Amino acid sequence: MKSSPSLSKEWIALTGNPNTGKTAIFNLLTGLNQKVSNYPGITVERKIGEIYLPNKKNIQILDLPGSYSLTPKSYDEQVVSEEILSWVRSDKKPSLILSIVDISNLTRNLYFTSQLLDLGIPVIVVLNMMDQIQKNELPISPGQLKKNLSAAAVIPISALKKKGVNHLKDTILSQLENPKISVQDDLPFEMTGIQRSAIRPLFVFFKDKMDYSPRLAWAQALRTSCRKDGLNIYGADIYNNKALEKEKWKKLTEIHSQVQQELKDKSVDLLALEPQLRYRWIDGIVNKTEETDVAELLNETRSEKVDRVMTHKVAGPFIFIGILYLIFQSVFSWSVVPMDWVNSIVEQFGNWVRLILPPHLIRDLIVEGVIGGVGAVLVFMPQIIFLVFFMAILEDSGYMARTAFMLDRIMIKLGLHGKSILPLMTGYACAIPGILATRTIDNWKERLVTILILPLMSCSARLPVYALMIGAFVPSTKVFGIFDAQGMVLVVMYFLGTVTALFLAVIFSRWIKNKGNSTFIMEMPPYRIPLFRSVFRQVYLRVKQFVNDAGKIILVVSIILWVLASFPKTDETQNIQFSYAGKIGKTIEPVIRPLGFDWKIGISLLTSFAAREVMVSTLATIYNVEADNDLIKLTDRLKKDIDHETKEPTYSLLTGISIMVFFVFAAQCMATFAVVRRETNTWKWPFFMIFYMTGLAYIMSFIVYQGGIYFGMG
Amino acid sequence: MTVNHLHPGEFAVITGFTEDINTDPRLLEMGLLPGSVIRMIKQAPFGGPVELKIKDYYLSLRVEDSAKIIVKKKI
Repeated sequence: MKSSPSLSKEWIALTGNPNTGKTAIFNLLTGLNQKVSNYPGITVERKIGEIYLPNKKNIQILDLPGSYSLTPKSYDEQVVSEEILSWVRSDKKPSLILSIVDISNLTRNLYFTSQLLDLGIPVIVVLNMMDQIQKNELPISPGQLKKNLSAAAVIPISALKKKGVNHLKDTILSQLENPKISVQDDLPFEMTGIQRSAIRPLFVFFKDKMDYSPRLAWAQALRTSCRKDGLNIYGADIYNNKALEKEKWKKLTEIHSQVQQELKDKSVDLLALEPQLRYRWIDGIVNKTEETDVAELLNETRSEKVDRVMTHKVAGPFIFIGILYLIFQSVFSWSVVPMDWVNSIVEQFGNWVRLILPPHLIRDLIVEGVIGGVGAVLVFMPQIIFLVFFMAILEDSGYMARTAFMLDRIMIKLGLHGKSILPLMTGYACAIPGILATRTIDNWKERLVTILILPLMSCSARLPVYALMIGAFVPSTKVFGIFDAQGMVLVVMYFLGTVTALFLAVIFSRWIKNKGNSTFIMEMPPYRIPLFRSVFRQVYLRVKQFVNDAGKIILVVSIILWVLASFPKTDETQNIQFSYAGKIGKTIEPVIRPLGFDWKIGISLLTSFAAREVMVSTLATIYNVEADNDLIKLTDRLKKDIDHETKEPTYSLLTGISIMVFFVFAAQCMATFAVVRRETNTWKWPFFMIFYMTGLAYIMSFIVYQGGIYFGMG
Repeated sequence: MTVNHLHPGEFAVITGFTEDINTDPRLLEMGLLPGSVIRMIKQAPFGGPVELKIKDYYLSLRVEDSAKIIVKKKI
């Protein structure tokens, strides 16, 4: 397990419902002072940043995933509940909690806030999205709200317009300098005598045995007694070791079942108790009545109107397909120009280095191995930027929630969940953040099936391989007058991976046993114009990771490969076939020959296990060593490669397709399987995935290549 | 009647649940409580989830779950 960044002595926590602009506020407060992990998107887990305060000091801030309640529903919410409850008894607790509240959705947001207020830690309520409403539309003044909630402060801000941020920082500072905790001995809302006496045994346990404050003890007594499985949060927990000691746990479960029986005997409506009490209290505070609720319901928001088309029964699905098609077409066509720029920069740089360095082995290593290898992959950065950019737009705009809504039914039939859509689409950029995003799926089986098929969604690391093969072997002609043949082939590859993934989902879900039932309760967030800052960040993180990989993995592989391909030097016949690399390739060639791959492809398959895009740099290095000359475009090299014996081109369109198909299915990214191990808590599933994906890759490539030859394509 | 029988645009008040024990607590925490008013928005394509407005936001849930919420139509 990766060690997560740790917190210093004094820190504050950032919480709130999903879709409240929490991330935007985190980014505004911290700038780029983040200790974020290597993977973009792992931020679902634990993200720590530093706020630069007006007194010129920094304070750490922990960003928690968005949550609706301390009664968790999905794994990501469970992480939040456990973290928050662990604060109560330990000395590792925040000095302050920032609870982000979407002002246009006040009551439901205050539900979670009211649970946080029970903890006895000062809470600053941050009213975000002030830009969405007129000042006079505020149902209650911030000052009044602060008083009624007994919050430390209530600060209106607009993350979108960057308004109120300094005020928030000032308030954080003054709270830290002199904390005002108003200790309350009881919950702020009334319970009946019957309700209270029924849950009293739990209250006593929490207060005396767990040292909870009276208010929190009441809150936890109420929450845990509402459900049969209400104690789960204290019980044996597979992810963390925050479970209670054995004896306490035994005692607690005894009391819990007694209380449940008692409530049942007195026919208290258990289930709705906490929500009912809390909402009644909150509605009173913000002056909500049935009349104001109906008036609000009558209001048709702009998003609702837009959705008349976007999620329309007939038009909706077509729009979705259209958007996907447009994205993949444009990834291919728009990036041609910037790719040429990168290419010519790499070439010129290589030639310049060749000029300034004396002819020597080291020069060859740098030019052929390093610049050739790393450069060959960097060329594909524009495409990755476009793809990640579009995915970020789809997510930030709120459209992904619509796709989950529209496709849930189909997803159920496939053994998945409507909320599988977002992780699967994220998989087009990179499987790792996709796998982490499955944490929002509350049903374990559906989550597992989503994880198992996710790496079949063609990630952006496959893009360089597809692009290279398409560029080399697919003619740039028009099909049916409008579609570009190269773009079409790319779309077909994505389609192949996706359709197979969905097909396998059906099969996997048949033989994986179900645990718990599956529900789909999803807020439909309003459409928002994506924040440029946020989209830019996501693209930046992905590019950073890509360049890092290029800088480390590809660099190392390229150097090793260059050595293997250049030695032993047989002076007269500079034939790479007799180098070490050639020998290794020739050894595995018989296995991959039926797929149409020669020894050069064989070596690049081996190296691509480090990362898929390494395949491209490997071919580049091999060809550069072989030619021992200027850096020539890799696509041209592939086209002009002539077989020594038959004197015919080594590769054809069919080889190219076979290679692409192999990459659609093959299990090649070890980082993905490490993450699967962590998320599923067993090696069983990652090994299963490696096995089925590799098998599938071989069989499918075999069918494509042999079938193609049979039909005379070879 | 239950939520899934509402037509788009119709208002209703929640009166209870068909089977208390199996109701997801999350429905209640999202504000779907006895006494709350809702407006039916639509059903998703392919017989998918329903979308309704509650308080000041839009919520979608599966037909099976919406069939557990008893409502009284409001005129």
